[in-house]
Amino acid sequence: MSDENLQSFDDDSQALSMQQIVWHQFIEHKMAVVGMAIITIFVMIALSAPMISKITGIDPEKQNIFKRYQKPFSTIEYSQDDKEAAIEKFIEEDAERSQRIIAAARSANVLESEVTDEDFLFEIILSEDKSAQNRLWELKSQDISELESLCSRFTSFHLLGTDELGRDVLMRLVFGTRVSIAFGIMVALASAFLGLLIGSLAGYYGGWIDSLLSRFIDALLSLPSIPLMIIFAAVDISKIPFVGGMLEGENQSVLKLSIVIALFSWMTVARLVRGSILSIKEREFILAAKTLGARDVSIILSHIVPNVISPLLVAVTLNVGNSILSEAALSFLGLGIQPPTPSWGNMLFNAQELIFEAPLLAILPGLLILLTVISFNFVGDGLQNAIDPKSIRR
Amino acid sequence: MSAYIIRRVIQVIIMMFVLSFICYYMLSLMPGDPVDILASSNPKITTGDIERLKALYGLDKPAYVRYGNWLNSFIHGDFGYSRTYRIPVMELIGPRLFNTFILSLSSLLLSLVLGVAIGVYAGLKPGGKFDYLANLCAYAGISTPAFWLAIVLIILFSVAVPIFPAGGTITVGTNLQGFAAWLDRGKYLVLPILSLTALQAGVFVRFARSSMMEAMGYDFIRTARAKGLNRRVVVWKHAFRNALIPLLTIVALSMSNLFSGAVLTETVFAYQGVGSLIYKAIIESDFNVAMVSFLVSIFMVLIMNLIADLLYAAADPRITYD
Amino acid sequence: MKIIMLLLMILGVASPKSLTAASNNELKIGITQEFENLNPIVAQMAASTYIRRAVGRNLVDMDENGKYYPALIVKIPTLENGLARLSGEGKNRKIVAEWQIKDNAKWGDGKPVTGYDVEFTWTVALSKFVSVGERDTYHQIEKFEIDKANPKKFKTYYREAHWDFNQLLTFPVVPKHLEENIFKKFGNVNEGYAKNSLHVKDPTNPGLYNGPYKVTEVKLGSHVIIERNKYFYGEPAKIKKIIFKVIPNSGTLEANLRSGNIDMISTLGLPFDQALVFAKKVEKEKLPYKVKFKPGLLYEHIDLQLKNPILQDLNVRKALVYGLNRTELTKALFEGKQAPAIHNVAPMDVWYTDNPKDITLYPHSRRQAKKLLDSSGWKMAKDGYRWKNGKKLSLQIMTTAGNKARELVETYLQAEWKKIGVEILIKNEPGRVFFGETVRKGKYPALAMYAWISSPESTPRSTFHSKSIPTKENGYSGQNSMGWSNPKVDAAIDAIDVEFDAQKRIKLAHRILGYYTDEVPVIPLFYRSDVAVIPNKMSGHKMNGHQAPNTNHVEYWTFK
Repeated sequence: MSDENLQSFDDDSQALSMQQIVWHQFIEHKMAVVGMAIITIFVMIALSAPMISKITGIDPEKQNIFKRYQKPFSTIEYSQDDKEAAIEKFIEEDAERSQRIIAAARSANVLESEVTDEDFLFEIILSEDKSAQNRLWELKSQDISELESLCSRFTSFHLLGTDELGRDVLMRLVFGTRVSIAFGIMVALASAFLGLLIGSLAGYYGGWIDSLLSRFIDALLSLPSIPLMIIFAAVDISKIPFVGGMLEGENQSVLKLSIVIALFSWMTVARLVRGSILSIKEREFILAAKTLGARDVSIILSHIVPNVISPLLVAVTLNVGNSILSEAALSFLGLGIQPPTPSWGNMLFNAQELIFEAPLLAILPGLLILLTVISFNFVGDGLQNAIDPKSIRR
Repeated sequence: MSAYIIRRVIQVIIMMFVLSFICYYMLSLMPGDPVDILASSNPKITTGDIERLKALYGLDKPAYVRYGNWLNSFIHGDFGYSRTYRIPVMELIGPRLFNTFILSLSSLLLSLVLGVAIGVYAGLKPGGKFDYLANLCAYAGISTPAFWLAIVLIILFSVAVPIFPAGGTITVGTNLQGFAAWLDRGKYLVLPILSLTALQAGVFVRFARSSMMEAMGYDFIRTARAKGLNRRVVVWKHAFRNALIPLLTIVALSMSNLFSGAVLTETVFAYQGVGSLIYKAIIESDFNVAMVSFLVSIFMVLIMNLIADLLYAAADPRITYD
Repeated sequence: MKIIMLLLMILGVASPKSLTAASNNELKIGITQEFENLNPIVAQMAASTYIRRAVGRNLVDMDENGKYYPALIVKIPTLENGLARLSGEGKNRKIVAEWQIKDNAKWGDGKPVTGYDVEFTWTVALSKFVSVGERDTYHQIEKFEIDKANPKKFKTYYREAHWDFNQLLTFPVVPKHLEENIFKKFGNVNEGYAKNSLHVKDPTNPGLYNGPYKVTEVKLGSHVIIERNKYFYGEPAKIKKIIFKVIPNSGTLEANLRSGNIDMISTLGLPFDQALVFAKKVEKEKLPYKVKFKPGLLYEHIDLQLKNPILQDLNVRKALVYGLNRTELTKALFEGKQAPAIHNVAPMDVWYTDNPKDITLYPHSRRQAKKLLDSSGWKMAKDGYRWKNGKKLSLQIMTTAGNKARELVETYLQAEWKKIGVEILIKNEPGRVFFGETVRKGKYPALAMYAWISSPESTPRSTFHSKSIPTKENGYSGQNSMGWSNPKVDAAIDAIDVEFDAQKRIKLAHRILGYYTDEVPVIPLFYRSDVAVIPNKMSGHKMNGHQAPNTNHVEYWTFK
């Protein structure tokens, strides 16, 4: 066996066992596993939010202005409008069926007063006086029981009550999960990209580029981020040339906020990448690639990036949590994601006026933020331990 | 050493200069100015009024000219005039700075005492029950949105069990003196300090714990233990001293955290500090106040960093600056 | 943890359990808005005016019914009582008014308030180095003439003869004997007077105040303490000491009320939504407070972008109004505690009319709305919305983000107008973007919802006149952001200012309202209500509902 073969064989076995080691190490970190489970659940909830809404029949945007600030576990009746719409649909579905019902009802004298066919069903079902309705149900026929079952569904159940617009709090939280977690991941990825770029520039080229960028990173790290982010978030993007036009449209506030937060969260990644590159830059395989005339970009992409991937993963995980926190903070100040898009942060913003009347509205989104961020932190910690067993758990 | 300090101070000044320009430019990019906002809801403000006020406030000039003017008077010691409060910025910011200083410093001290005590104790027996609990609490502290904690604290301690005031800085109109005045102040400080401390203490617990674990693993500690030295002596005299050094850098960095946190905490508690002032000034485009309070807080953070670096050198004889 | 608990206990015990209840000794008022220095010439914030009225009175003031009454003066000059006289004709028509300050009107240092003070205030306010908001009140006066024998008496000469010459609601008085030297010294530097005025340098100087109270302590951003002024000309104040506290977060404000840290919440306190919920709580828990509502002059409305091709069609604009049940809206969202609006003039105003002969009324009728839309070719499609030439009847509504009440209204409108087949898309912006850019420059694509402060009998020049349409050429000044232009309205506005016959003015105002309601450049929504929370035991507190703060009768507030 030649030396080369031996080398590659060693590499293979190491790679395999490395993964196993990482996995075992990770599993050992109980909190990380719990965190992973929580994140998985949340991500699943986030992904299936539209489905949950469909199955439960609760629309996160649907308001019932007459039933605001309902307590948890409350069952509320549809508003007149919603009932009307449902009956209209019932009639449209099968005009003959409703005619049959009307005929049956007329012959049984369900309604005392004279009403046109057009208004007949509305009159019976929408009136405050339920006696006519009850007389109709007594008639018992297939058509009527269909209508009855429709009317029995004229209530909605709200596990966590309703918010300031009479929307279902649980469903808002579910959709908020979608926005907040997606936002966290998006920002973390964006800042990872930025960090990777700047970190590799600094690490790979060294010299004055490195010292300049490092100074810059140090400076940014030492600055209080919230006041800076407030200034950046309050800026009217359309006033900035070039960038302004790119950010028009529906999700402008989300995009703008993610840029602002990403701008202030790439530094740790950059530091990390720079450090790793410095440590492997002088290794043989890089030198070999250089002597073989590989271009800088390809060296960075094919040799250096794979080597910094694992610490990067840790940094990204931790950054997801931090981004969610920053989003919440800025949204809490009214500078973040704008309603009606629900995010945990702007739900808190909405709730702060009425923390005494409806404290749950303020407590729940915060709890979810706490739970998510702590999970991401634990997972990051677990990953770090697993990847670098020498490192001490922090 | 002195050359190093001078170089750092020059760096700080350059940085503040650059930042002041960036911030001024950013502020000028905010939509609407105070005059527009004044006019937007009051149909009695006439076209002439708007023009006159804009000229009076210098808002009709481009941003770089305004920045130039601002910088010029700033260098000459004139910090300008608050558009919102209509008083000189200096008069506004002095007492605010003092308030923030008290708040930040006391929560820094509290979180240091708590964090280091818990962290060191946890680091002595990694994997033990206490360590487990401490770690969990530390993570919870780091992961809690401080402003949310502030709200929860208000709900708990000002509404459910009304022990502490829900907001403010001092009891107005009592004219307390001496100890009573400080006690009164303390009452208003408890909840803000608690909400700021949770995060900071979490950071300190983690760092104290890991540096302690690292230190306990050093050969000389093991030797000391093997020699049969008193455990307490080993822990505090040797291991802790070594663990102290990385902690110092973290304390310096935490200054910027504290300032960030103060913005939100002070806003929730209506605490009269620089943090809430920055936020309000930005929102109301009170340029002079926003700029000065922003620069002052950055200056404090940068100076704290410098001091920490110097202490770092003092604590660890291996490090020299030149 | 133990340390914290210990600390909690010490402080908990030490904190005075029962703060002194409100009485005639002391009243603590909570406000959410900030105030600035209390110089009435430059102060512009609502909170400053609110506090200022308790320590300084103007020449005239307005009572809770919207009627003007003499405050510092003996009698309001009018043509009828002979204290005002017209001279000249046509364009050169001028007016002179005679004023007399009450004999016992004194500054807090015992010096009398005279015509010289009024003249001084006027001089300062007109200086180009002093930042005054609305300068019109001062500018309309050409010159003063003070009676040398009795300086309490003075005459004012007006540049033009406007009927509302005597409505000097925004004309305060500052003491000449204290401020003159400062104005002489710093008056010719940009904002020099404002920066060096005693209101900044020595705000507790009693000589600055002529109201029922004088300021004894000011901490900007935090509080103002005022105490009874023995030199006040009117009824001596019943309550000895009042403390105004700024608590910016309305949630915290309520907590402060409940913990006794403040005794009442001013009209600059609770947002309407929170007040409704709190009112219910008061009832349920029998809390010792009264929550007072009063419909005011803040006119909440939707500006329609008349450049929008869909909205250019009058039928669509009318259909939107027909399709909206405003009574139902105020009932649903505000429990009927805010009054629905049919146009921009409030019911308390003498210019108000709901006579169908004068204006077009739009009783809620979905059928009418649908008919109008059908006739314009907007046909209902399967998706529940109307389409025409492959275009959906879709409009964007904008307002200030984070304003609970407005967001509530938006969503209500969305649901309501869906029923007539109109799609409403919501896009909200932070207040400063919305007002500073979008509304100011008329940049909103279709609908913009916000409020105007109005006052009784005020000419809608800046909002309806075609010269007030903001354009790039005029530097985006003027508040006719709809872009409404009607020469007849312009003419009526020009005529109303110089019309001295009250009845004729009403006629002109009705004519404007006729066009306004017929052409629908704006959808009126409702009048916002003022909200205040006062202790049960307090009496004498009335709600004004207009721009004069209700501290203008603070001396009558008392506890049983």
